[in-house]
Amino acid sequence: MKKNYLQALLLVFTLTIFSSCSDNDDEESYTPVSPVVVDLTQVPYPKLSDYHFFEGDLKNLTPSLNVIPYEPASILFSDYAHKKRFVWMPEGTKATFNGDDKILELPVGAAIIKNFYYDKIQPTDTPLIIETRIMIRKVDGWIFADYVWNDDQTEAYLDLNGSYKQLTFKDDNNVVRNVNYRIPSEAQCIVCHKYKQDVGGQEVTTFIPIGIKPQNLNFNYNYGDETKNQLTKWIEQGYLENNFAFPTPEHTTINYSDATQPLEKRVRSYFDINCAHCHKETGHCDYRPLRLSFTETGGVNGHSNMGVCVPTVDMQDFDPELSNLITPSKPSQSMLFFRINTTNESYMMPLHGRSLIHDEGVALIEEWINSLQNCP
Amino acid sequence: MKKITFLFFLLAVSSLTFAQNTCATAIPITAAGTFTISTIDGTGLPATTCNYTNANVTAVEWYAYTPTQNYTVTVSSDLQENLCRDTRVRIYTGNCTTMTCVVADDDSGVLACNSGNTNSYLSKATFNAVAGQTYYIVWDNRYESTGFNFQVSEIPAGYNPCNGAVAVSAGTTTVTAIDQTNINTSCSTATLSKWYSYTPAVNANVTITSDLAVNLCKDTNVSVYSGNCTSGLTCVGSDDNSGVLACNFGNTNSYLSTYSFIASAGTTYYIVWDNKWSANGFDFQINETPIVIPITYNNQTVSTINSSYNICIVDMNGDYKDDIVGVSGNNLRVHFQGNTPGTFTVTDFPITGTSDMPSWSMAAGDYNKDGYNDLLLGSGSGLTFWRSANNGTSYTNINPSDYIFCQRTNFVDINNDGHLDAFSCHDIAPNVYYMNDGSANMNYYQSGTSGAYMLGVTASGGNYASLWTDFDNDGDLDMFISKCSGPPCELHRNDGNGVFTDISAQAGINVTPIQTWSSAIADFDNDDDMDVIITASAGTHKFFRNNKDSNTVAFTNITAGSGWDTNTATNIDNIAYDFDNDGKVDVLGGGNKIMFNQGNNSFTPVGYNAISVGAVGDLNNDGFLDIQNGSTIRYGVPNGNNWLKVTLQGIQSNRNGIGARVEIYGPWGKQIRDIRSGEGFRYMSSLNAHFGLGTSTVINQVIIKWPSGIVDTYNNVTANQPLSAVEGATLGIDAFESSVFTVYPNPVKNTINIAINTANPVEFVTAQVYDLSGRMVHQTQVANQTVTVNHIAKGTYILMLRDSNGKDYSQKFIKE
Repeated sequence: MKKNYLQALLLVFTLTIFSSCSDNDDEESYTPVSPVVVDLTQVPYPKLSDYHFFEGDLKNLTPSLNVIPYEPASILFSDYAHKKRFVWMPEGTKATFNGDDKILELPVGAAIIKNFYYDKIQPTDTPLIIETRIMIRKVDGWIFADYVWNDDQTEAYLDLNGSYKQLTFKDDNNVVRNVNYRIPSEAQCIVCHKYKQDVGGQEVTTFIPIGIKPQNLNFNYNYGDETKNQLTKWIEQGYLENNFAFPTPEHTTINYSDATQPLEKRVRSYFDINCAHCHKETGHCDYRPLRLSFTETGGVNGHSNMGVCVPTVDMQDFDPELSNLITPSKPSQSMLFFRINTTNESYMMPLHGRSLIHDEGVALIEEWINSLQNCP
Repeated sequence: MKKITFLFFLLAVSSLTFAQNTCATAIPITAAGTFTISTIDGTGLPATTCNYTNANVTAVEWYAYTPTQNYTVTVSSDLQENLCRDTRVRIYTGNCTTMTCVVADDDSGVLACNSGNTNSYLSKATFNAVAGQTYYIVWDNRYESTGFNFQVSEIPAGYNPCNGAVAVSAGTTTVTAIDQTNINTSCSTATLSKWYSYTPAVNANVTITSDLAVNLCKDTNVSVYSGNCTSGLTCVGSDDNSGVLACNFGNTNSYLSTYSFIASAGTTYYIVWDNKWSANGFDFQINETPIVIPITYNNQTVSTINSSYNICIVDMNGDYKDDIVGVSGNNLRVHFQGNTPGTFTVTDFPITGTSDMPSWSMAAGDYNKDGYNDLLLGSGSGLTFWRSANNGTSYTNINPSDYIFCQRTNFVDINNDGHLDAFSCHDIAPNVYYMNDGSANMNYYQSGTSGAYMLGVTASGGNYASLWTDFDNDGDLDMFISKCSGPPCELHRNDGNGVFTDISAQAGINVTPIQTWSSAIADFDNDDDMDVIITASAGTHKFFRNNKDSNTVAFTNITAGSGWDTNTATNIDNIAYDFDNDGKVDVLGGGNKIMFNQGNNSFTPVGYNAISVGAVGDLNNDGFLDIQNGSTIRYGVPNGNNWLKVTLQGIQSNRNGIGARVEIYGPWGKQIRDIRSGEGFRYMSSLNAHFGLGTSTVINQVIIKWPSGIVDTYNNVTANQPLSAVEGATLGIDAFESSVFTVYPNPVKNTINIAINTANPVEFVTAQVYDLSGRMVHQTQVANQTVTVNHIAKGTYILMLRDSNGKDYSQKFIKE
């Protein structure tokens, strides 16, 4: 992946030179112009290529000028799909910092682009891009667009109704897996990408991105030509105001796959990106006691917020052993563990975004539960 | 827990302090009692280690205990007056030269230091002592040298106060004094006790209480055991201070005890009062409230019930006897109820293609109106119809593939055209439904979109269970939505013209916070309107009485004192049926119990082992509702109460009469049911209406108000039987009111002519002729507004005409 970005940037550079050569303007006064077009009166466009987020062969996902790759430290599990994420903002606009754990407030016109693909589709071991999800910041809030790629990988078409794609692929450990991959409907996008407010007795839903919290971007990322803290990069790019202190390590999420990191921090990072969009205040499931955002799992109530020794409600049809969300050192007596370790759709968590069990994530949570000795 | 006790203890201390500084000068003890150490200051440290060494010990106190007979002896500093002292004890046998360690203890006491510590630092050691042998009791100053009291108590070997328990029964008993040696249990560690045995003759809620005026300012502690004196006792529970009578010294706390438990008839319980606080005598009462088990269940396992989803009981072959319906990926397995109670014929119907599985809910109804029920399977990714074909001999998978995160699904005739539509609660978006075009083609709509009914439009969904019933008795179906994720429940009033109005606030059922996945809805007080118990999945239940008057629906919260306020069991599924046929609708929800309706809007729980909500129906045709929990059928055992079962066949209305109001009248009053497909959260239960009659066998009248508006009336109906009602069967031939058409001649010989009202022009396409038992005897196209009936036998029939929009109409005629 990192190599690809290097090539991508080289390609951008090459294209820039190419377009400047073919241009009749005076080279010395030439300023490269991003080809990206996000016309808020027209989006979502019918085709992915309409945005010009990518240059050259679309399936190479080579970002156009000012389309910047990014990655959260802690990554949502999506049936083992790989992802390439990009952000773009209109020239002269930048994002606002609202707190380590608050989604960056992106300017009107901004777009975040997330491509879902598998590297080794069977039996050919070839890559396949499935969908490109885009969120666009309009004047009155974020909108969703989802582009489903054609089999030729030459174009992706707007479809917010949702669909399935039956796939066989090898995961990163070369385990062959089958998945009935779900391309979400707009209603499913909303479940996670929102917060709820009570306004005069009426529930008002506001759509939001999830991954672009400062605490989730606060690490060095290899851009190909340089490796740099993503927040620094965004500031240098002019995409982020420069008036805040970077999150301290204590307030920064980590890559939960990094076994050199403390177990609890890995688990908190895992919960944050995989669960907290619903299990937080104002989230879809805020009527449940779990509070799983990184900030909420860190304080004195951290373990209670993670469900340690918290009784399960709604025990109908469940084994009575599962009467706690987390029972210290007893994964088999922990409802949370049961729910992430099943594909029975009546029981599974998360309810959306996966149809497979995330074996590595389950192992991480199991290790953590086993490490717990006491109730909070 | 009163501090004043301290004084009593000080007064009770009998032994005085002497020198006991070495083994040689150890104070002799020959009987149980309380002993006082003024200061630990003896210098003769024991030479023998006994669990503890002398590390950090500079002084000890010595006692030499010699029992007169074999005892189980307890040495304890775990006394109220020692609160927050920190003691340690070692006990040896032998002599001052050669000692053997028997037992030692540091912190086994249970009295916590009341300065906020949760740990006790007091000591307690028990050992078996042999008569005549000397035991050296050595207290050391490992932690502190301050003096304290300790107790030596003796229980004769083999002594068991349980054996001497005095038999008592309900009523008042006087305890003269607490003066028998106690035994140590998890319920009680006091030294003295008084044992009583109590064996109720009936199942009862039993309360044992010393909370009586005569005991004012006394201080009691009680424990209750079940089990056997010799083979082992089980602590049922204890109580110290649950009394409410405050000591009139001005204290606000009561020191009296009250303990309640559920007692089984014939089981012996031991009631034990101990001297935790006082050994003085007092009176106590045993109060029994007999529990009448309203109905019992005979559980049978049917091993062939092994489909992936076993959540549906409904008639599948048109005989109106409930069958057991199992759903698997490509198979429909039906256990058809036979004529012999409890026997079933198992038939598998293969289903082709990919079906959504009913992982969230299931409903049944005859939406293609062929006389055989169809199934509606609701999954997290959409719903699937399994539609009957070829007279119920095969089923077709129809999977529309619209994305729906289904919760409760229903068959219901939303637009009242005589054809069942399908409804699904949506978990993450506004609710959806499929409209039946009259030919069983189902067209998708979502509430809140243009041209769709407003049936729950919350953007984020959170719709868990829809229940269609007629709240305002205006003849059409309203809908209640149980919600859980923040927004309140919703009540949508059907205004009859395709308009549904959200009257949640007006009706007053929009309470928050609320967490419910399904609500129990029935006429619980038999006053002719549907009441709502918002049965909680978490939190507390809310019982709303319908105060329907002629204009509005308004509910009153009557939870307090109803039994729902004290019911802490919560559940996803909650269903309302008259399980004991006493004429009052009960509720099965969580907690392995049925909440039995006592009348007057009060409910009492009765527990049944492992019972939980499942599909409900009458699987042995005995008039008592049975419950399916997986492969276990819980057959309701007839309890002598009388009953009536009403089976419906709609003609102009939908085939099942879903949405019909069934009313029955008798000397006991009036009862009502609405025919519903899909109540509770997950399960599909019988489409027959079940009524209990209690001890009465009199039913003056049964009135069925069909969705079409047709009203059938049956007078003087016999109890304890099914009443088979065919829409229009009780009407005279001129009793049908139609502004749309008339037929002539009537009686008819060969050809029925149809005259269509020019003010309401319709085009009739097909005609069906039913006899009064509901059997279709003729089906034909309508040609030139005539229907030929020359070949059918003489008799009275119901003609059903279907117009070009798929709407059905009916008319009775006589064939001569």
